[in-house]
Amino acid sequence: MSSQSSEIREGFLCPMCMKDLGTVSQLQSHFEESHSTEDKATLNQLRGLFDRAKRKFLGDKEEVYVQDAQKVTSDTISQSTSLYDVDYWQHQETGVTHSWTDMFRGVRDTRVDKYVVETNKLLIRLDKLISQDAPTDSGKRKAFEKSVVMWMPDSDAKSCRYCGRSFNLTRRRHHCRLCGGIMCDRCSHFLTHAYAKKLTNPSYNFDGDKDVGFLKRSGSNSSLNSLFSTEGDPHIRSCDECRKLLERRDLQMEQRNTKTAIVLLYEKMKYCIEECEKQLESYLPMVESLCVGESTYSLRDAQRKRGELVKKYELIDQISKRISLLGSDKEEGPSVKQALLQKSVRVYASNFMQENMMGLQNLPTEEQYDKLQKMRTAEIQKEIALERQATLQAQEVEKKKADKHVTTNKEESGSQKHVRNRSIGWKPAEQNVTRDSDDPMVQQMDIIRGYIAQAKEAQKWDEVHMLELNLKDLQMEYSSQQKSTWS
Amino acid sequence: MNVILAIKQYISKMIEDSGPGMKVLLMDKDTTSIVSMVYAQSEILQKEVFLFERIDSAGRETMKHLKCICFIRPTKENVDLLAQELRISKYGQYYIYFSNVISKQDVKSLAEADDQEVVREVQEFFGDYIAVNPHLFTLNIIGCYRGIDWPPSVLKRTSLGLSSVLLSLKKCPMIRYQNSSEMAQKLADSIQQSINKEAGLFDFRQPDVAPILLILDRSDDAVTPMLNQWTYQAMVHELLEINNNRVNLSQVPGISKDLQEVVLSAEHDEFYANNMYMNFGEICNNIKELMDEFQTKSKSRAKVESIADMKAFIENYPQFKKMSGTVSKHVTVVGELSRLVGKTSLLEVSETEQELVCKGDHSASLQKIKTLLHDNKVQQIDKLRLVMLYALRYETHSNNDLSGLIDTLRKQGVSDKYRACVNTILDFGGKRSRGSDLFGSTDPVAFTKRFLKGLKGVENVYTQHQPLLQSVLDQLIKGKLREAAYPYLGKNLLRDRPQDIIVFMIGGTTFEEAYCVHQMNKSTPGVRIVLGGTAVHNFKSFLEEIQLYAQTPRSNRSDGMRR
Repeated sequence: MSSQSSEIREGFLCPMCMKDLGTVSQLQSHFEESHSTEDKATLNQLRGLFDRAKRKFLGDKEEVYVQDAQKVTSDTISQSTSLYDVDYWQHQETGVTHSWTDMFRGVRDTRVDKYVVETNKLLIRLDKLISQDAPTDSGKRKAFEKSVVMWMPDSDAKSCRYCGRSFNLTRRRHHCRLCGGIMCDRCSHFLTHAYAKKLTNPSYNFDGDKDVGFLKRSGSNSSLNSLFSTEGDPHIRSCDECRKLLERRDLQMEQRNTKTAIVLLYEKMKYCIEECEKQLESYLPMVESLCVGESTYSLRDAQRKRGELVKKYELIDQISKRISLLGSDKEEGPSVKQALLQKSVRVYASNFMQENMMGLQNLPTEEQYDKLQKMRTAEIQKEIALERQATLQAQEVEKKKADKHVTTNKEESGSQKHVRNRSIGWKPAEQNVTRDSDDPMVQQMDIIRGYIAQAKEAQKWDEVHMLELNLKDLQMEYSSQQKSTWS
Repeated sequence: MNVILAIKQYISKMIEDSGPGMKVLLMDKDTTSIVSMVYAQSEILQKEVFLFERIDSAGRETMKHLKCICFIRPTKENVDLLAQELRISKYGQYYIYFSNVISKQDVKSLAEADDQEVVREVQEFFGDYIAVNPHLFTLNIIGCYRGIDWPPSVLKRTSLGLSSVLLSLKKCPMIRYQNSSEMAQKLADSIQQSINKEAGLFDFRQPDVAPILLILDRSDDAVTPMLNQWTYQAMVHELLEINNNRVNLSQVPGISKDLQEVVLSAEHDEFYANNMYMNFGEICNNIKELMDEFQTKSKSRAKVESIADMKAFIENYPQFKKMSGTVSKHVTVVGELSRLVGKTSLLEVSETEQELVCKGDHSASLQKIKTLLHDNKVQQIDKLRLVMLYALRYETHSNNDLSGLIDTLRKQGVSDKYRACVNTILDFGGKRSRGSDLFGSTDPVAFTKRFLKGLKGVENVYTQHQPLLQSVLDQLIKGKLREAAYPYLGKNLLRDRPQDIIVFMIGGTTFEEAYCVHQMNKSTPGVRIVLGGTAVHNFKSFLEEIQLYAQTPRSNRSDGMRR
């Protein structure tokens, strides 16, 4: 765009004289003829530009150049008229961030490692204590227990290390079977074998989740506590510290492995949503293509896909409804925040569905589709007719030129326009036809053959059919011409 | 240089980092405002954030199935609360983001509290300010003056906020400050210190032309926050008050329940985005157009007969619903504004203000003020406004009749507390405190400009005033800003035309200035300006600001070094 001229011109303008030439090759030859003496550098530059432009043409739409120019103009316009400055919305890097995570982990790990090592030791011992071949006979049992962990000598503990009261005849010493430490009976805890199994073997299926873990002490502080309660289940005496470590591990495992109803439902819903998103990706182009009457996709496929999507939507709707109603069958209902959470999830799901409903509605019915298809066929035929006319004209020009013995093959190749195709996603690339003949008719036929091959590859059967008809016409025309020349 | 985008990017990064799953966003009071300014709740909901909690709210429920994104300021209270939270964790996983620099010691104490190993991330994301418009931010602080000095805590908060702006925009600027203000220099020093201290953070690729941070003091231009406004955003703030994008309409007569509080956010309201800088007259027209458009749409709604009609209607439904919301909201707001304008003779008041500030005809202005002071329609606050403006404008005029006007105020029933503001404003922003030529009486260029303007006639009598900020920025861009009045901190000088400019106004900026910066951004290619302040003032909040300023004993103040 030149700043001195107020009007913005598009097309293949000569940079020297601003003359508008129709095509790239015309411009190039014009430039070589009229301006070659002026500036070699500009010429080279121009050539580079043409090459680039050509490459673009071959792969892309014909109007790329023009479109780009238009985009530039419209951008400048919007920049000056828009009230919200475009500049603000330019790409911006995310601001500075600084991570402390590693340092945090370092500090935490050294702390937590202690627990982990200790806990693992306890688990190994626990595993031994509950193993099948552990002796049950009380005498042997004690020796076995002592072999698992060294018991602290009685003389080392004058008083309980938890409650601090001294030991005597009535307050006897007891050993923690896991660490060997000494405490009084009142400070002892007992864990069941079932719980121990759960801890040592994560896959152990533990039912009866209500009363797992340590045995509850009876309310009275009698020394004869729960020792013989719960049907005399075998159990293991442990101290408070070991208990805490084990319970911490248990909690962690629990959190890692169990999922509440809402999480399960939510994950299912999320899975459905993701599936829908994937399907929409392939479904939406289908709708778009069908709506312009193309036959790339079959209407039935799209309808089937639509059916699947609708089913998924229904599923999402159901699940989110279930989530929103979770816990409401209980008398007290879900807690305030839980209810809020469930409601939000429901809103999330319905927002998703609302946003993605559009594609479902726009699918044409069979009747509509028939109509659309006919319209499109008519359009394509019209285009091809135009194309043929252009070819015939070119041929005439060629004839005249041939009479004058001027060979301008170079130009010709440029002036040949290929089929303009409005379909999305497919467009024949320009053919590199080996030219056996100078007759444009023959060239055109070659080109169309190339198009047919491409269209077949792209599975555009409409076009293939159309092009084949076209080719037949051309062939007939050509043979009749040949005959007339020979006769 | 878009502060809204900067904060948005931080928040979406936090949410992305935590991966899929149900999430809760745990914030403090300040970060709640920071987030709510850039994201609508519905928008953040679609990112699987289903709950919003405050870290200081007691008795939050335990919900282990949620991932917790914790975005808080690194204050001592917050760190303590968070450590407590981690010891008895309520959520399954924690992703912790501090809005500013946190000390190593604090990180350590948090790590020690995390026995349950629930923390996945600990990071600093520098979103420690409130983004109002793409080019406007505030810290929502009222009371940054203690006499002519900072209260230490406020200086610290301001410095933190401003350096987080720099970090979020990745700018390591050269600093200039207003020489007449000791506070500006202190803030400049403090920013420079944190840049030096956190050199690792400020280590990014510098552009060819260094960004400029210009620190100004409200006392140089006390006039701008006292004027009535006529552009939409500024006017709504002046008459109805915008608080974190929210406008309280509960005082509006006959207001419906769902409109008692409305949100004005350019991010989520197209009409507002297009009209926030329009003047009142233009908005009234646009509202009418909007209503017509809506009515044609609602007529077509009545004609829903065939299935095709219904389909089309449902397809349009989201926009339709959105549109009807926008219509009723803006009709209400604009309606209320025009009611107030008519009821309180605001046009006359504003015209008088503008002529008072922009022209030099003392006796005519005085006459008009006297008339308005006796007008019962005029609100007391506007009477006070006029007298305060007069006090500043004709501070040294030989026929100054300030005592007469104050006396009239008394007779009109304006309270002692407010009458005292007249003297306070002279102390705060009078000739003695100013470093620049606010009314353009000595600068020959400004004088000629005014003279020429007088000859050409004024386009709009209500918007004649241009804030001092405009000429300061204009000079800065042209490289003509005097170094004596606005020195650089340090030895380096900027030789090139500045490209990225961050202006910060101690004592609060205004929407009039934001509008002016917006215009400059639009009309000056290659230059990007972001404006910030300790607050965004209207007249009422500015009165509060100067009342807090005046609470320091006068003797202290006169001892202070006024350069």
